[in-house]
Amino acid sequence: MKRVVVDPVTRIEGHLRLEIQVDESTGKVSDALSSGTEWRGLENIVKDRDPREVWAFIQRICGVCTSAHALASVRAVEDALGIKIPRNAHYIRNIMGGTINSHDHLVHFYHLYAFDWVSPMEALKADPAATAALQKSLLDGYQLPLQGPIQYKFSGYPKIFPQASANYFGAMKDKLQKLVEGGQFGLFAANWWNHPAYKILPPEVHLLAITHYLNLLNLQRDIVIPHVVFGGKNPHPHYVVGGMGCAISMNDMNAPVNTARLDIVAGAIDKTLDMINYYMLPDALAICAIHAKAGSAMDGGGLSGERVIGFGGYPEEPFAGHMDFAKTALVRCDGVVENFAQGVANAKYYPLEGKDFNEKDVIVETSRHSWYKDNADLHPWEGKTNPNYTGDINGDKAHWSYLDQKGKYSWVKTPKWRGKVCETGPLARYIIVYTKVKQSIIAPTWAEQMMVAQIDRVSALLGMPPEKWLPSTVGRTITRALDAQIAANMERFFFDKLVNNIKTGDTTIANTTKWNPSSWTDGEFKGVGMFEAPRGALSHWVVIKDKKVKNYQAVVPTTWNACPIDDESGHGSFEKSMIDTHVAIADQPLEIVRAIRSFDPCLACAAHVYNSKKETVANINTDPFIGCSTK
Amino acid sequence: MERYTSIWDMYQKKGMSRRSFIKTCTAMTAMLGLSPSMLSDVVEAAEKRLPVVIWLHGMECTGCTESFIRSASPLPTDVLINMISLEYDDTLAAAQGEPFENHLNEVVKANYGNYFLAVEGAVPTSADGGYCMIGGENFLDRLKTLAAGAKAIITYGSCSSWGGIQAARPNPTQSVEIDDIINNKPIIKVPGCPPIPEVMTGVLAYYTMFGSIPPLDSRDCPTQFFGNRIHDTCYRRAFFNAGMFANSFDDEGAKAGWCLYKLGCRGPETYSSCGSLRWWQGMSYPVQSGYPCIGCTAKNFWDNGPLYSRLPVYAGIQLGNIDKMGAFATGAMAVGITAHMATSTIQKKKRDAKERRERKEAVAKQAADNVSQEEKK
Repeated sequence: MKRVVVDPVTRIEGHLRLEIQVDESTGKVSDALSSGTEWRGLENIVKDRDPREVWAFIQRICGVCTSAHALASVRAVEDALGIKIPRNAHYIRNIMGGTINSHDHLVHFYHLYAFDWVSPMEALKADPAATAALQKSLLDGYQLPLQGPIQYKFSGYPKIFPQASANYFGAMKDKLQKLVEGGQFGLFAANWWNHPAYKILPPEVHLLAITHYLNLLNLQRDIVIPHVVFGGKNPHPHYVVGGMGCAISMNDMNAPVNTARLDIVAGAIDKTLDMINYYMLPDALAICAIHAKAGSAMDGGGLSGERVIGFGGYPEEPFAGHMDFAKTALVRCDGVVENFAQGVANAKYYPLEGKDFNEKDVIVETSRHSWYKDNADLHPWEGKTNPNYTGDINGDKAHWSYLDQKGKYSWVKTPKWRGKVCETGPLARYIIVYTKVKQSIIAPTWAEQMMVAQIDRVSALLGMPPEKWLPSTVGRTITRALDAQIAANMERFFFDKLVNNIKTGDTTIANTTKWNPSSWTDGEFKGVGMFEAPRGALSHWVVIKDKKVKNYQAVVPTTWNACPIDDESGHGSFEKSMIDTHVAIADQPLEIVRAIRSFDPCLACAAHVYNSKKETVANINTDPFIGCSTK
Repeated sequence: MERYTSIWDMYQKKGMSRRSFIKTCTAMTAMLGLSPSMLSDVVEAAEKRLPVVIWLHGMECTGCTESFIRSASPLPTDVLINMISLEYDDTLAAAQGEPFENHLNEVVKANYGNYFLAVEGAVPTSADGGYCMIGGENFLDRLKTLAAGAKAIITYGSCSSWGGIQAARPNPTQSVEIDDIINNKPIIKVPGCPPIPEVMTGVLAYYTMFGSIPPLDSRDCPTQFFGNRIHDTCYRRAFFNAGMFANSFDDEGAKAGWCLYKLGCRGPETYSSCGSLRWWQGMSYPVQSGYPCIGCTAKNFWDNGPLYSRLPVYAGIQLGNIDKMGAFATGAMAVGITAHMATSTIQKKKRDAKERRERKEAVAKQAADNVSQEEKK
């Protein structure tokens, strides 16, 4: 039995440590621990501030899923203050939401995740002509020619399309060879390139994927252009409580949004669709199909076959607070599905309605195994914790050996739905929607219809029923690519709605009736803002008292997935996923990091302060500058 | 084992001839299956060493890395392939865990005194540095170790440059900027939350083209990117001068694209290229998209008063009554305002310098106290 530590886990956002107990002879993982190793305290920082500016602070939780937190934050504040935003602003926020999901998934697949599947060393063995033939076969056999409703599409032909010539792949191979032989290995250095898992794909797939890695590293910036036009920049585009700030006018040449600006957005959406349809989906499907057929990466399912959670995505029209949020959602993944691994007919769906968010015991968080003082299960509005950093198993705070699995071992808390840990993310969205549609719980929207069609086509491609391939590392990887296709189509859909609404003469972009705090009454108001973010169900919870933020909590997708063990309901999804993953070489646990990266971990999101009413974290410090007297 | 900076370096150190070096390159060209015409490329690769960069992530959101890879000129692939050798970076490197850490140690040893240290994120100093642990070690210690062998440090973003969001009141983790911890290395500060992509890559492009670090101002920021306030280069400046303002989001002024000063715009005291370079090579910046600047390149911008309150209110500048300026404001009044802001900026710089000095003294004192406590033990 060997205890293997992977720290730092790279190619993720933030700081993550994994410890696994693995039997070297059988490759079986008997126990696993995941620890978020950074804590910044942002929710404590927004305390007592003007609720209208909180989105900007909270947005800085994460620059990778940038925009997700700002959106959830303005929604939470609007919910608390009873502000309904205008149509244009709602549509623009949905375009920006589709943008972040498309972009995040694509960058994750190529730039954070691909090296778990492909290797530059294998790519050097590829035949350029065979690689060109492979590219053609991907476009022939691995596209998913599905799309949502389209009204305004100006693009006459695909502007972004993969190269499929032997000369091109030959040139790329030469370049790669020079990089490898040049001795300055840069980002390729020191990985487990000899691992047998890299032998599953033929060399041509490696060369093709690494070529696309480079192609898309330069192209991905075009995807986020809607953020630049509507929010001024990316990362961290701007938002406004009550709507958006990008005023619309077809009569003013200096207007933030006029025809020329809309044209820029339309062009970016077309390019996004090209990147996802011609690159990401065929590449992800081919890589996963080859692995699945070899029986590889079919483990690592985590909690997905057992219990998944979602809040609902892309409300079609402006909604009146959280009570109304999922009612007009185009992706109704609101709720929990248990036992999908037993087949869609045997899966059990539990609704999650607006009123459930107000209940004391539906969604709670605990910190029994997290570095905070309070151990009780608490509703996010009542969230209460002070840091209680205990260091490693020996109490060493600055240099660790191993972490204390029986005690506290992570800055991530443990969120629960009705006392149980859950998995969230694109995979969860697909499991919930697929179950609801197949069990006739809902009549599908165009988006849900498309999601079911995607799943059925992939099942046919893999030759497996959904319950076999979805709850696995492969399933999590494929559904992220499928989700990117939905997200890009959403951008297109809401762009059309925006144009049609402006056509009616409505150019309103912000509801400013409650902009001035003097229009608010004193007293306490609570709100919750939700967003189906790239990594899953995101909720921000705010309590406003006497016009200031009294309490702020973010219950984040990676918090759901990366949480430490819960004494009653067991391991969270990261840990569960590691335990059910088979490891070929104990001290090179490539399969483990691949399973973990299939979640697209975002640790800065996952760990943050849960503040108390009066106690401030600064109390533990005695020195005003570097006070560190917790010893 | 002795490390060499390149194959040519090895030949020189071993006293071998240029002729034998070229012969080896010819053999390598054949061995790699390249055509003989590629020989010059192989020679170049064997001779040329790209500057080694080690990129650390502390208390941050990775938004700066995301911004870095959005650069259009130079493109991110070209930076990574032809401008620098990024040997260590949590976000993009293929490797992880122990082999990755071993690689870091080797790179540091082989390039001691010659590598650039890029830092994204602030340094938490309380709880024994336990608020940010990497590879089982606290970020504070890691930073000190790696800074010791660095040729220069680039602090990317407002967190590493000024402390950033986690250092905002009440600074629960007692996070500080890199400058507070490292005193003996050249630091190039590239603030912004995040900085503009081409500003980030521009610092490296300057080094590639001119072989030195770019000219810096008194705050250690490159003057060509941080030399003017947004207000100085803002395309809406003419409306400010003419007294034409948006009074609320979505009013006639907002639709017409007038000045956002009254909605709290920080442009008049924020040094940044937003107005000149803009984002996405001229496409937009927050003001152009209708949002008042939040001043994200400025020190402590999070605590300079509520974001939507106007400059005169929080900065304590008595500007006269701007509400009465209306469309009839005179140019003289606008000039007066600008002059006033220039004065306030100088005062702010002095205040910042004093704060920095005091903080450094306190850090040094704490370090000395720790040493004496250790000695007592």
